[in-house]
Amino acid sequence: MSRRAAAALALLVLILAGGLALTAPGSLPAAELSRAYLPPWEAPPFGTDQRGRPLWATLAQGASVLLGPSLLAGVLVALAATLGGLARCLALPWLDAGIALVGELVGSLPRMVVVLVAALLLPGGARSLTPLALVWAALCAPGAIDEAAAVAERLGGARFVEALRAHGFGWARIFLLHLAVRNLRPVVVRQGAEVTLQVAFLEIALSYLAQADDQPSLTHSDRVRSWADLLTMGYPSLVLDVPTGHALALGVGAMALLVVGTHAAVRAARAR
Amino acid sequence: MAGWWLRPLLRLGAAATLPLVVPALVAAVVWALPGDPAEIICPRSTCTGGAELAARWRLDAGPWAFYQAWLGDALGGEFGRSWRVLQGVPVAELLTEAVPNTLVLVGAAGLLVTLAGLGGLTGALGARAEALARAVGVAPAVLLGLLAAASIELRYGADAFGPDAASWRLVAGVAVLVLADGAFGGALAGARAATAAERAARYVGVAVLRGEAPLDNMLPNLAPALVGQLRARLVQLLSGAVVVEVVLRLDGVGDLLWTGTLLQDFGVVIAAATVFAVFSAVLLAAQAVAELIIGGVVRRVPEGLAS
Amino acid sequence: MTAPFRPIRAWLVGVAAVASLLLTGAQLSFYEESLPGTLNPLYAQSMVDFRAQELVFDRIFYHDPVDNQIVSRVVERSELAEGGKAYRVTLKDGLRWHDGKAVGAADLCFTVEAMLDPKTPSRIAQGYRTVLAGCEVESERVALVMFTRVFHNPKERLGFALLPKGAFTGTAIAPDTDFSVHPIGSGPYKGGKGKRGVTFEAYANGHHAARVNQLSLQEGGDPIVQVNTLKQKSAQGIVAVAPPLRPDVSAADDLQLKSYDLRSWWFIAVNTKRPALADKRVRQALDRTLDRTELRTLTIGVKPGEQNSPCEFISGPFVQSSPFYNRAVPTRDKSDRATASRLLTEAGYKLVGGLWQHNGQPVKLNIGMLAPLDKEAPELLQQISNQLGAGGFDRVETRISVDDWNRRVVTGQATEFDLLVGKWSFGVVEEVNQLFETRTGAKGAFNIFGYSSPEADAAVAAYNAARTDTAAADAYHKLHAVLADQLPYLFLWKLDTKSAWRTEVRGNTISPYFYWTEVDGWTFGG
Repeated sequence: MSRRAAAALALLVLILAGGLALTAPGSLPAAELSRAYLPPWEAPPFGTDQRGRPLWATLAQGASVLLGPSLLAGVLVALAATLGGLARCLALPWLDAGIALVGELVGSLPRMVVVLVAALLLPGGARSLTPLALVWAALCAPGAIDEAAAVAERLGGARFVEALRAHGFGWARIFLLHLAVRNLRPVVVRQGAEVTLQVAFLEIALSYLAQADDQPSLTHSDRVRSWADLLTMGYPSLVLDVPTGHALALGVGAMALLVVGTHAAVRAARAR
Repeated sequence: MAGWWLRPLLRLGAAATLPLVVPALVAAVVWALPGDPAEIICPRSTCTGGAELAARWRLDAGPWAFYQAWLGDALGGEFGRSWRVLQGVPVAELLTEAVPNTLVLVGAAGLLVTLAGLGGLTGALGARAEALARAVGVAPAVLLGLLAAASIELRYGADAFGPDAASWRLVAGVAVLVLADGAFGGALAGARAATAAERAARYVGVAVLRGEAPLDNMLPNLAPALVGQLRARLVQLLSGAVVVEVVLRLDGVGDLLWTGTLLQDFGVVIAAATVFAVFSAVLLAAQAVAELIIGGVVRRVPEGLAS
Repeated sequence: MTAPFRPIRAWLVGVAAVASLLLTGAQLSFYEESLPGTLNPLYAQSMVDFRAQELVFDRIFYHDPVDNQIVSRVVERSELAEGGKAYRVTLKDGLRWHDGKAVGAADLCFTVEAMLDPKTPSRIAQGYRTVLAGCEVESERVALVMFTRVFHNPKERLGFALLPKGAFTGTAIAPDTDFSVHPIGSGPYKGGKGKRGVTFEAYANGHHAARVNQLSLQEGGDPIVQVNTLKQKSAQGIVAVAPPLRPDVSAADDLQLKSYDLRSWWFIAVNTKRPALADKRVRQALDRTLDRTELRTLTIGVKPGEQNSPCEFISGPFVQSSPFYNRAVPTRDKSDRATASRLLTEAGYKLVGGLWQHNGQPVKLNIGMLAPLDKEAPELLQQISNQLGAGGFDRVETRISVDDWNRRVVTGQATEFDLLVGKWSFGVVEEVNQLFETRTGAKGAFNIFGYSSPEADAAVAAYNAARTDTAAADAYHKLHAVLADQLPYLFLWKLDTKSAWRTEVRGNTISPYFYWTEVDGWTFGG
């Protein structure tokens, strides 16, 4: 796939997911028990859930819950990685050492515990995925910084900068164009895309675990639902005779859309 | 390169301090949770004896005092008893059962993920394998975990936590950890992307023209990045292990961490966090040693050419 | 018991032991809502805890599930003493703890002293500190239990589990001891708690002869999977079947649904301290905005007009079968929006853009609900919110974890909420004083929003002063009427749950609240 095609695909996915998120209803439609578990061909476009409500509402709400925070986390990690890579080219050993030390400590914290505590610290009415995504991004940033710094070091680090300076290029051009855009781009975009996906998977895990442990939702208001609800509703259809396969397909399809989008973004950003 | 050894040495130093610092940080973080576990058992406004319980559990003198006392006992092999996860059971007993399970789970998954990375590096696993791995990785760990848990429960019924079922839970856990959340696909893709980017470098082309194997030339440059990627993946697996253990109801360190945090069972959380910190420290030390080897042996600058 | 009868009794115990081995035997596996947090009766927090402990311990007195009479398996005879301020209890001879030692009066007094010890950080013990004053050992099997005052129902006040003195080093009992996982009781089963389940081994005793050798409590996962496991004979029972799955269980020929009376009623507590809710008319309007019939249909699945419904509406803090229930106070089954609007307008509310405003400010109701209630009544919080929304109120909903509920809601600290949806379960003693008395000192300990009413306090005082069941009932009838008028709670319903058992399990009488009180009569297989 060419970089342009990949970029177009990534943009299309973003528009689709963003459109879903923006059209998400504030609360689920009223229940109609007589329409429970209808398949998509009887209740287009995606069928209904156990209370007869259209699944598209859950799909849209799920998108609104995770899209923004996961993208934000991805962007922040990409930014951190870029800064880490650029910092490696400054030839400041104390800075490198400081970043390394802080990074190792932060990167070694048990992430799920830190995220869980962050979630539990939020007051019930203020729970959302955004602060957890930021925490996750902070925990993942050291690894991303590490890899970006390794790439910068492979280029030659400070000597690469010196060489370009000798060519008469300005600092801004060297750091922003030559380093960040041309050389660090593939790795930082890949790191950002991975974190975006990780946050999406994290939201699904936390949503399910909160429900399983009789906790209020850790990632969103109790009024809305997430893609985890589609998956937990749908998975019994694979092992039991339960008519919820359409919910499973929808949930997996939504995740696939996200994966395709992030993968396309990585392809679009790959080195020439 | 001057000072190349600084980072690996810093990593070794960090690895040595992790088992002490991480539990202290976790103690501080968990302490920040509203209320305290003694209050949950016996709210002071409706129940007497809470102050004695808080004193018994060392909750009355702040997180630092709590941590110091815990550390002192832990160095003597005494981890106290669980307050709420499995009330009354010695924490050491819980860990004795949990650590091997998590080691097997993360170790096996780590091995498979490492093989994915090697496959990407060597080209043994190409674009098709990556696409397939990514397709499977679309499934979240929760989904695959629930499927596995349901299958085991349906198959074994009341014996769902017996020895046979426990083995299957472990196997399922490894599979879920490796396949779900894009772990395997991500490792493969990361290695392939890094290799492809390096392969595009001019020096590789020159090496090929000289009749040399590209991998032999690329490896010294790629190794630090790949080792870093691998460590990040393994740390990610450790996080994933928490979800897998909880969903599959595997008795592991991740499950203890999660349940202990929810129930504010500080003794269990800090002990489990220490185990996690030791895992992380081992990974960090391994990365440092790899970097030292790469820097000192593989990328050694010939004498007389040191800059 | 005199000397000649002791060998006979020992022989009977031996026969019972052999019989229990020969009869039925096998292992009965069942799913619970979760694992019990502890097997120590002093620290029971959830219904799972109470049920599990019922298998291991004997309560001194309990209600017979058949005729509701107060009976005992461990007491030979008992009598009031000291003008009603004490109760003399003579324990039966030949009772054994699970470690083989004899049960005696010293154990009874030890249990009382442990509960009275201020260093025992137990909420259950705290409740008994306002009831019990002490205990004296008069002889090997005779103990005199002293009360803090005269009660009209002294036997009910002795519904606590017997603890073995020999298993503890003092009367200050901490929760995190080995006793919590390996308790020593005198009940029909010896229990041992593991990480994923609890095993109960039958223990033949003079007063127990369980016919099922072993019970295995499993933590339930997905309810759908549980039901299918039951159908496949891989387990034998589910203590609480989620409402959406009950038709599936009913349809199976080899499964039976059995009612389990939780002795509980559901409510919406109203924060009367909030200016917007301080006016009684506003609370009455909220009460009329709710359509309980629709709530019941959409959440529990009870169809209108259904016979033998497990969900029965209530108009006060008692279940309809209770002698304390005031039948003169009708239930409110359907909504009455017109009257609700009138009441709100009279209270000074204005409808602006479809939403009610109070003093020019939009009213946004912060509604919380105890999270586990979602299993018994799925999406109840959302449905209540929807109905209030349709009634013109803006709102925000939050589920509350059990820990937060115990730590903040019950202690009166959750004042940021306007409405709290919860469930009150009464175990042995059907007493609601602590919910509605003005919160002062030890009184009103469970008064969620600090509701205070002289009329309610007077009714509670009358109950406390009652010396007969009739006087107590009269006092509570008055309380019921006061609460139905003032509405510090919007009373919803009493909800029985349903258990599912395979038909091979016979004689499975399910006792209200404690479930396993009659487990000696259960048989399986054989």
